[in-house]
Amino acid sequence: MYLSGYYEFCCRVKMIAGHDALEKIPGALAQLHAGRPLIITDKGVSGAGLVDTVVDAIKDGIDIGAMADDVPQDSSVKVVNHLADVYRDNNCDSIVAVGGGSVMDTAKGVNIVVSENADDLMKFSGVGVLKKALKPLLVIPTTSGTGSEVTLAAVIKDHERHLKMAFASYFLLPDVAILDSRMTLTLPPFLTASTAMDAMAHAVEAYTGLAKNPMSDANAIAAISLISSNLLNVIKTPSDREGRLALANGATLAGAAFSNSLVGVVHALGHATGSVCGVPHGVCMSILLPYGLEYNMHKRAHFTGELLLPLAGAEVYVGTPKHLRAEGTVAYIRKMNQNMHDATDGRHARFFEEVKDRDGRRMVPREKLEDIAEAALDDGSIVYNPEECDYEDFLMIIRAAWEGAPLDRSLIKGV
Amino acid sequence: MFFPDNYEFYCPVKINSGNRALEHLPVELDALNARKPFIITDKEIAKKGLIKKITGAFKDSGITLGIFDGVPPVPDLKLVRRLMNNYRDTGCDSIIAAGGGAVVDTAKALNIVVSGRPEDLKESAGEDLIKSPLGPFVFVPTASGTGFETSRFATLGGLSFSSHFLMPDLVVIDPRMVTSENADAVVSTAMIALAHSAQSYTCPAKNPMTDTYAYAAMQFVGENLANVVRSGDKKGRLALANAATMAGIAFSNSPRGMVHDLGWAAGDISGLPHGICMGILLPYVLEYNIDSEGYHMSDMLLPIAGFEIYAGTAKNLKARKAINFIYDMQHEIHDITRGNIPLTLKDAGISKDALDGVARAAVGEGRLGFNLDDCMVILEHAWEGKQITSS
Amino acid sequence: MDDFKEITAGNKPFKKAYVAIMLWFVGRAIQAAARVDKDVKKEFEKLPDGFTFCLGVLPRGPYMIVGKNEKGRVKYMGWKPDGKRIDLDMKIKNIEAAILMFTFQESTAAASARNRMIVDGEVPYVCAIVRVLDIGEVYLLPKFIARLAVKRYPAWSFGRKYIGRVRIYFRSILGY
Ligand SMILES: [Fe+2]
Repeated sequence: MYLSGYYEFCCRVKMIAGHDALEKIPGALAQLHAGRPLIITDKGVSGAGLVDTVVDAIKDGIDIGAMADDVPQDSSVKVVNHLADVYRDNNCDSIVAVGGGSVMDTAKGVNIVVSENADDLMKFSGVGVLKKALKPLLVIPTTSGTGSEVTLAAVIKDHERHLKMAFASYFLLPDVAILDSRMTLTLPPFLTASTAMDAMAHAVEAYTGLAKNPMSDANAIAAISLISSNLLNVIKTPSDREGRLALANGATLAGAAFSNSLVGVVHALGHATGSVCGVPHGVCMSILLPYGLEYNMHKRAHFTGELLLPLAGAEVYVGTPKHLRAEGTVAYIRKMNQNMHDATDGRHARFFEEVKDRDGRRMVPREKLEDIAEAALDDGSIVYNPEECDYEDFLMIIRAAWEGAPLDRSLIKGV
Repeated sequence: MFFPDNYEFYCPVKINSGNRALEHLPVELDALNARKPFIITDKEIAKKGLIKKITGAFKDSGITLGIFDGVPPVPDLKLVRRLMNNYRDTGCDSIIAAGGGAVVDTAKALNIVVSGRPEDLKESAGEDLIKSPLGPFVFVPTASGTGFETSRFATLGGLSFSSHFLMPDLVVIDPRMVTSENADAVVSTAMIALAHSAQSYTCPAKNPMTDTYAYAAMQFVGENLANVVRSGDKKGRLALANAATMAGIAFSNSPRGMVHDLGWAAGDISGLPHGICMGILLPYVLEYNIDSEGYHMSDMLLPIAGFEIYAGTAKNLKARKAINFIYDMQHEIHDITRGNIPLTLKDAGISKDALDGVARAAVGEGRLGFNLDDCMVILEHAWEGKQITSS
Repeated sequence: MDDFKEITAGNKPFKKAYVAIMLWFVGRAIQAAARVDKDVKKEFEKLPDGFTFCLGVLPRGPYMIVGKNEKGRVKYMGWKPDGKRIDLDMKIKNIEAAILMFTFQESTAAASARNRMIVDGEVPYVCAIVRVLDIGEVYLLPKFIARLAVKRYPAWSFGRKYIGRVRIYFRSILGY
């Protein structure tokens, strides 16, 4: 067990999980003295019929104050203010957010505006500015990956003032997260794969990072074991409800781990690749995770090796000599990627060269790699990475991840 | 890995643990919008100079503190009323409880009344009768406790409370606060943590969230208890205080199990610390349930014995190995303390005739699926020190 | 009742004074390094003119402010944040945490990983300043301490390290 010299851990979100968890929303709201929610979601989610499922499950129990399904891909202060007006005009007393990261961020922003009666959201940006509980916020994730149902941060863009406002406070944590297998049942296999690998990266980076602690370790181990033992099955049998629920649980556990222990080089480079080339976050995570582990291995061999147990199970762990376990972990993740590649007819990418957009065009041209390395220098995740990472280091990793060749660890500075 | 078809889990507790944790109190209170804390403790703890450590942590913060250091072993409602007046008269807005057991019960009861009205205390006795969050409440553990501190439970003046709102907002585990205690108190506190977490981890109502807290707690105890008893190992003591906190959280989200109820009743009758009795009983109860809960007990081997032993043990032997690990740990502690920590209920000073009373008290307490006969089988084996499966 | 009392916690003037001196030195050393070291220079070139960075201790100091003036020169701007617009605000949560950092028992990376700091500002600024602080530590501290303070001790040329060190010490004390 690793007990760091000092750590903080908090996961204050109430969890309600199950195959019929949605039906418990009216009761959960009542406990929070609320019963007239504003439902916030986006067109993709409502188009897939998921909001109908939610409404059907709760409409007998409560009055729905209003419904807004026009959250854009990118959160914006304009949308937040508009939704706050909808909330007030319809006398809502709580918020239910259905969707992924941008829906949750938007909902958190709306909650600040309606709870603090804020005319300018900017006044509340920053760390720890909020000092009291906000209105009840329930979140229903529709992918098993981001973990934003348990994170205390939100990013909202002000397109007019060209600002990116970041908010962080325990009061921004949702009051309740609902994990219901129906919400992810129709997620296509290749998206299931990449979003789950995002969760996997959260757990692995939290476990091997500088801010690891016993509680996030316990969350990470459980998350890795759930994801590893269910992911391929779900990809092959998307209607597997048990497997879906297991992945949802895994993603939330991984979210609890990384919201307390943060992430590292995999996310730094992943965010950069996302912003330079528009590659979806989960795809970046699947590809980069083994490289991040290789890059840090000379400092984290022990922890990386331990992960072979939840990943591959007791037999493989015991059958692998101690000094080879860290490499075994990396190989295992590569094999997962290969298996998912095969199971999705090649849609799950193994390296950046083979990442294609909808029209089949290559998304990451080789000449963009320098830009990605440059952008990664501006990503905060690197602070929590065990090893230093400069421009040359980033470039070396992203080049290897582009080609799909394992990292030549003898070239890492300081090895 | 197991997870149930559906579950609910809630833990409002933030944990700050480690070097200089106390010094983070002013910032943490500020985040809870609190400016003037009311520190509650007892004479014993104050005498050890531990309260000075807390007040010292507020240096440079400009904060004024209220301090009450006179919680008696059995606090009553009159005390709560008196403290309420102190709290209100001096304009306090938050509570810091330092120490275990009665201190925390008093703090929780005080928080009910200062967050609402004095009548609330009687009206909120019972299950889930507190309707809204209470005021900011911080718990600073010392080396000994009853296992209820971080939990949703409190008892005081004949009233029992159970509500998630009674769990602390923050637990501050600082090495300077969890200094030496006698072996009895250390073992008792750790065994309560182990019993609560093992029960939570093996019960049918377990879920991935309770599992993480129980997992961490078992890991802490499994790795550190013997060392702490042997050498007072500093890091180990911090780990055990962590275990007590995690176990309280798992315990709060799981049914109260057989070990708890039997151990509690045996403690009341023998006069031994409750945790010592729970420790004696834990492996027997696990053995008794090995057929129904063996699957989860296999998983338990990982946190309690570590990666290598877990992975190196054949699947069908893992549950048995976990139980034996606990037996071995008991024997080790028994040896280190030269027999001071008993291995059997007999050595704990309980007469064979008293077992029936223990069983009745436990069944009377419990609302769970076990009956007198179950209890007697376990108690008789634990009295004699005879493993159940070998009989 | 004599069991109840009210107390006002005292102060830690010596620890505060020690941290204040260290902060002053760090501020002046950053100013000096921005003239002497090519990497620090580059980091500041990427930051906007008028950029200000405040490093301090909660709840009431000490603090130090470093920034770029309108002409793009990096300057130590004193120990009073009052009224100044701060672009990047790094606050150590309490004086004991600051002591751990400034007695090199906890590196900047460890302090952030342990949640000892509250950082407010744009993330790219944070990354740049963390790199500047790391370089500063390599210059100012003997190798056996700096190796604990930074993640990877850089392989600098003799000239950069030792001549740079002398120049930065010299300039920090004289303040130019
Ligand atoms: Fe991610």
